[in-house]
Amino acid sequence: MARWKSAIWGLAAALVVVAGPASAAEEWGIEFEEKARFEAKVVDILCELSGDCPDNCGAGKRQLGLLKDDGTLILPAKNQDIFAGAANDLLPFCGRRIVADGLLIRNPKATLFVLQYKRLAPDGDWARANGFIRDWAAADGAARDSKRAKNWFRHDDRIKATLEKDGVYGIPGLTPAE
Amino acid sequence: MNKILTVLAAALVYGAATTAGAAAANRVTVTGEIIDTWCYVTEIMYGQGTAHHQCAVWCAVGGIPVSVLGDDGKVNVVLRVEDDDTSVANPRLLTVQSHRVTVDGDLYERDGVNYLIVTAVADDQGIVNLTHEEYGIQPFGD
Repeated sequence: MARWKSAIWGLAAALVVVAGPASAAEEWGIEFEEKARFEAKVVDILCELSGDCPDNCGAGKRQLGLLKDDGTLILPAKNQDIFAGAANDLLPFCGRRIVADGLLIRNPKATLFVLQYKRLAPDGDWARANGFIRDWAAADGAARDSKRAKNWFRHDDRIKATLEKDGVYGIPGLTPAE
Repeated sequence: MNKILTVLAAALVYGAATTAGAAAANRVTVTGEIIDTWCYVTEIMYGQGTAHHQCAVWCAVGGIPVSVLGDDGKVNVVLRVEDDDTSVANPRLLTVQSHRVTVDGDLYERDGVNYLIVTAVADDQGIVNLTHEEYGIQPFGD
C-alpha cells in the first residue's frame, strides 16, 4: 500500500511539474545548459532570415526555429530521440505559437535548444518531443516502441547505403582494425 | 501639418515592424569541416573528422542541423546549399559529412547562432581530418 501511495504521489508531482509554469525539462549534464520554458512562434528559419518563404515552412525540408515575442530566434537542434532533431515535432505547428520546454544551451560556439516537451499555446496538451522516431517507425512499418525503432540509425536505408559506400570513417577502403 | 506627421509616424512604425528581427547578411568565404552541430557544440563526444563520421551521418539523417566549422573556430549552420533549400536530412549534405570544404555564402548572425546560406561550393577536399587514429569510433566504438 505504501508503495502505491508513493507512486501516486510521484505521478501527481510529475503532473504538477508538467502542467505548471516551471520547466519540466530533464537535465542532460551538458555544459551551459539551463532549463527553459517559453512561448514562441514556430518559424521557418531560412524564411525568417532571408524572406524566402515557401508554404508550410518548407514542408519538412527546412530547419524550424522558435521566434519569441522579443524577437529572439531560438534554434531547436535536438529533440528527445537519439541522434535526431526537432523538425518533425515542430512542423505541425508551423506559423503557430507553442509553449516549448527543454534545455537552452548558451554555448559560446552556438546557442542551441533541446526541445523536450511542447504544447500549442497557451494551454494545449503537453506532448513529448519524440516525433522523429514516431515518423521514422511509421514510414518503416516498425512499432514505435520496438527495438528496431529505438535503434533506427542501425536500420535506416539512407545511412546503410552511405556507410556501405564510404565506410564508417567516410573514406572508402579505410576500415577499423580487427 | 498634423496629417503629415501622422503619415510620417505611421511609416516609421511600419518600417520598424517589417524590419524587426531581420538581420543583414554578410558575404563570406568559409573554409573548414562539415560537422554535426550538436555533437561538436555540446562536446558530448569527440565530434570531428573520421572518428565521428558515422555519428555525423546518423545525426544528419536524423535532422540535426549540419554546420561548417570554419578554420576561425566559428560554427556556421547551413540552411541552404546553392539552389537546394533542404536543411533537414539533405542527401547532398549526407555525402559530404566530415569533408573539408571552401564555400562562398551569405552569413546571418542571430541570437548566438551563425546561419550560412551557401551560394557556391568552391572546393571539396574530401575527408582529411584523420581523428580515428586518436579517438577510434565515436560513440560506441563500432
